Amino acid sequence: MAEPILEVSGLVKHYPLTRGIVFRKQVGAVRAVDGVDFRLGRGETLGIVGESGCGKSTVAKMLVNLERPTAGSIRYKGEDITRLSGKALKAVRRNIQMVFQDPYTSLNPRMTVGDIIGEPYDIHPEVAPKGDRRRRVRELLDVVGLNPEYINRYPHQFSGGQRQRIGIARGLALRPEVIVADEPVSALDVSVQAQVINLMDRLQSEFDLAYVFIAHDLSIVRHISNRVGVMYLGRIVETGTDTEIYEHPTHPYTQALLSAVPVPDPEAREHRERIILSGDVPSPTNIPSGCRFRTRCWKAQERCALEVPALAVPAWFEAAGGPAAHDSACHFAEEKHVVPAEGDGDGPG
Amino acid sequence: MLLEVRDLHVEFHTRDGVARAVNGVSYGVDAGETLAVLGESGSGKSVTAQAVMGILDVPPGRITGGEVVFQGRDLLKLKEDERRRVRGAEMAMIFQDALSSLNPVLSVGDQLGEMFTVHRGMSRKDARAKAIELMDRVRIPAARERVRQYPHQFSGGMRQRIMIAMALALEPALIIADEPTTALDVTVQAQVMELLAELQREYRMGLILITHDLGVVADVADRIAVMYAGRIVESAPVHDIYKAPAHPYTRGLLESIPRLDQKGQELYAIKGLPPNLMNIPPGCAFHPRCPLARDVCRTDEPPLYEVSSTRGSACHFWRECLDG
Repeated sequence: MAEPILEVSGLVKHYPLTRGIVFRKQVGAVRAVDGVDFRLGRGETLGIVGESGCGKSTVAKMLVNLERPTAGSIRYKGEDITRLSGKALKAVRRNIQMVFQDPYTSLNPRMTVGDIIGEPYDIHPEVAPKGDRRRRVRELLDVVGLNPEYINRYPHQFSGGQRQRIGIARGLALRPEVIVADEPVSALDVSVQAQVINLMDRLQSEFDLAYVFIAHDLSIVRHISNRVGVMYLGRIVETGTDTEIYEHPTHPYTQALLSAVPVPDPEAREHRERIILSGDVPSPTNIPSGCRFRTRCWKAQERCALEVPALAVPAWFEAAGGPAAHDSACHFAEEKHVVPAEGDGDGPG
Repeated sequence: MLLEVRDLHVEFHTRDGVARAVNGVSYGVDAGETLAVLGESGSGKSVTAQAVMGILDVPPGRITGGEVVFQGRDLLKLKEDERRRVRGAEMAMIFQDALSSLNPVLSVGDQLGEMFTVHRGMSRKDARAKAIELMDRVRIPAARERVRQYPHQFSGGMRQRIMIAMALALEPALIIADEPTTALDVTVQAQVMELLAELQREYRMGLILITHDLGVVADVADRIAVMYAGRIVESAPVHDIYKAPAHPYTRGLLESIPRLDQKGQELYAIKGLPPNLMNIPPGCAFHPRCPLARDVCRTDEPPLYEVSSTRGSACHFWRECLDG
């Protein structure tokens, strides 16, 4: 992996549940993020996938310091940003920017596009002198594929895809090194999604950006990511390169998730094995003991209720090596092919 | 044919002008068949369904032409009270957002039971028993206890099961499901789609599945109708369309989705944006975004050409598209 630019270890976010008005006492906690570790290399994309409530958006918020972690550290070039405040925090924030999911609510409807994209310069005036800002904003509009003439228009005059481009331009304004994108294309139509993903791909190589790309759509994550982390109930349960995760998954949750994704190939429906999980994700206020996936896992045994499986390369794969030897938090990790291999069905020729 | 929509036209009259949402849509569904209506936002797929179901907001909406023939009768000619007897009993609808489609102040048992007290004149007690039976049918655990609970006490997947139960209650011949799993997580989506498909087989219902998800379509549909700017641009059996699309829009959609099974390079992206429905381009509505567009496409609206006995394409150059 390239030199790490972001190192996250033991990241935890618990939201206290309290009872009482005068005498508040804590009766429990929503364990939204419960011990997450990862590293992000310069110019690399880390995809984080998981279902709603798994804590992926909370991780995103902590990365840009919109939420303070309960425990753990986030090191940006070796410096723990969770302990920073004031000037030092401001300087770090310049380098880690965010792109939000909903292009309709994340842009102020009363501001022109020029003001929205230029606003970061008000907070970090050292990046662009006042006289130069309009020019920079025009440049940014051009970079994200919007007509620079639109600088005085308002968000409602744009379509969803165009708005997401505006959000990306705002994220780029300060020339950050890391962009945290939380479901950046899930609100967009299929044909527009491809445009925005291609744009993000292009910008990455142009500006040497590192992405943390958070999404629930596994196909999109595979397309854009170098490495992927699969989250379940506040933890990463499996992580590896895209080939390791998609073609050689060893954690049962990853296998179930991949097997549940509808594949746009009707030929696959007959010969594809589906793992249908029973039940719902448990509540993060009441996380099962041991392995948190055990309540829905078809392989669960007594040991799973007693011992928390560590996120590490399972010993039996480590010896053999190969693509199955990647971090997987399962006592009974085992390889299983769930994604129909390339060429099984004929795509549009 | 169980249901046949013929040349349906729907307009919306707004302050800014007339939006032509549906411009001559025809499709049919047989008993036991699943028709997927595929399209992006604004393609007219939901408006068509609302017109079929008779729940279109009138005004601003207006059906300006066409027929909706269901079990031999043109529904558009029925009086509202006759229409109401069809709705719910003979055709039912499942919506995307179960939380906002269910009444938050009534228990799910009351809401399910209402189907029987209103349409079948059952007593409350019998209706309650029926509600529990239905909840069992859609595999909601502990139905007897949960029948008294309110919608907010259920998870998203469970709420969608309640919607399905409600749609099934009177054993309709046709179910229209409008993005039934879009709001759900993939593992829950798989559970719900499987349930829906199984119940459909069992009751031999016709199913119209409205979706934008090419993956879901490939999983369950028998036939597909692809909509663009209020028209059907391609209609075909599911296997044909994925093998070789006969319309450049369908081809563009298929090529623009990232695949789970391969790490592609740059994604193909259909250039531009879907048209404004108040100002649909002349000729073929897709021509400004089409790689095959020529002069004729700018002036002549393509009819739905017959590609084979079972498929049609509204592209002047469908042969070219089919050959890749």
